[in-house]
Amino acid sequence: MKCYSCGCNLTEEDFCTNCGADVTLYKKIMAVSNLYYNQGLEKAKVRDLTGAIGCLRQSLKFNKNNVEARNLLGLVYFETGEVVAALSEWVISKNLRPKKNIAGDYIDMVQANANRLDSINQTIKKYNQALVYCKQDSEDLAIIQLKKVLSLNPKFIRAHQLLALLYINNEEWEKAEKELHKCCKIDSNNTQTLRYLKEVEKMLMPDEDVKGKKSRKNETGDVVKYQSGNETIIQPVNVKEPQSHGTFLYLGIGLVIGIAATCFLISPARIQSARASVTEELRTISEQSDAKTATITELQQQIDTLTQDKEKLELDLEGYAGANGTLQTMEYLTNAAQAYIADPTDVENIGGYLDAISSETDVATTSESFQALYNTILSAVGPTLSAQYYDIGNTAYRNGTYEEAITALQKAVNYDETNADALYTLANAYERSGDTENARTTYGLVIERFPNTDRARRSQNALDGLQ
Amino acid sequence: MINFEDELKKFHPSLEVEEAEEAIYNKDLTDMADVLVKLVKEAEDTKTQE
Repeated sequence: MKCYSCGCNLTEEDFCTNCGADVTLYKKIMAVSNLYYNQGLEKAKVRDLTGAIGCLRQSLKFNKNNVEARNLLGLVYFETGEVVAALSEWVISKNLRPKKNIAGDYIDMVQANANRLDSINQTIKKYNQALVYCKQDSEDLAIIQLKKVLSLNPKFIRAHQLLALLYINNEEWEKAEKELHKCCKIDSNNTQTLRYLKEVEKMLMPDEDVKGKKSRKNETGDVVKYQSGNETIIQPVNVKEPQSHGTFLYLGIGLVIGIAATCFLISPARIQSARASVTEELRTISEQSDAKTATITELQQQIDTLTQDKEKLELDLEGYAGANGTLQTMEYLTNAAQAYIADPTDVENIGGYLDAISSETDVATTSESFQALYNTILSAVGPTLSAQYYDIGNTAYRNGTYEEAITALQKAVNYDETNADALYTLANAYERSGDTENARTTYGLVIERFPNTDRARRSQNALDGLQ
Repeated sequence: MINFEDELKKFHPSLEVEEAEEAIYNKDLTDMADVLVKLVKEAEDTKTQE
């Protein structure tokens, strides 16, 4: 202990040995301060934090330099969740005794973790906001906010007390009791907590009068409301329990409602879905049917075309085929060849077969071998046949039977294209028969095939005469 | 019976961390020892004047 006047260490004497100042009262003040500190320490040890705070404050009122008391006060504040108050005490303590002071460690502990400091600040802000909500009658919001505060700082006594007060106001006695018990665990002798707790316990375990009040308070119409754990039970008063037939009635009603819901809600949706599915299937089938119809039409057209070709070919084949099924023209050619081999001078017989071939078919459309054999026979007997037909035609021309003459002369020209007399006489026969067009054509052929001949000159004159 | 409104008035906003410095500066740290020193000094001054 140091002298308040000169700062020297005091002895057991009642005065300062250095300056002579009377320190009797001063020493008593210091003793009282220490006494309060000891009491505060004892209370803090048994978690009577409110009592400890009171004693330690008294101690500091007697001696502000009681660093131990100040540090302990800060610690007690910290334990009750009053972090800013704790920091204030520790900072002052640190200033009073900069060295060998545990307050420095406490400050470092709080300030070293920035997240923790931020969390502390958020807690305080939320608590203040909750208080504002309470004053604005937004109690539900206040409760939510306080629950957040307590999740961040579970030792915040004031938040617990405010939450308990809100529960008390809402007549949620068990919740309030729970919060107040949490307060008691932190601070066992908080006057406010104990007062609230007494009120809550009175409501939870009331005597007859209080019970009457409570039941009157909780009765709302024909119901009784009470708390069971976290649940609010609302029980009707003077209402008989439903009988068994009532149960069946309710079951029946439920069944009807279920069926109605099925009919009006579920079934239409399913029907709609089924319709959509069927429509989709019909559309697919219709598309497939259209495609098949188009294919069938195309195939039918092919069948018709092929049928027509077949009929045409059958007709052609019938024309070629003889009575015994062989090709008639081939038979004629074979017979002509056989007749030529047997007697090359038998031109009449050979000519008959060749006439038959030329009348039945167009030799140019036959096979190469057919044409080769036909031309061979024709070149062998053609000029002779041509001369014979010329004679027949010329005789008929002279007799004035021009149709007969034309037929014979055409054969004469066909068998020998170099037969100028036959071609010229044919032109004359056409002219005499009145077939002027064929006459001109034939005269033209004479001029073309036999130019610079007497027949050509005569043909030219005849042409001039026809024009 | 607890009156909610009256009880609510007992709750005050908590100091935020930013306000701690100002709170420290404004704190009245006068103790009984200061009062004693002041009284002794005043007494000595009175004696001197006499």
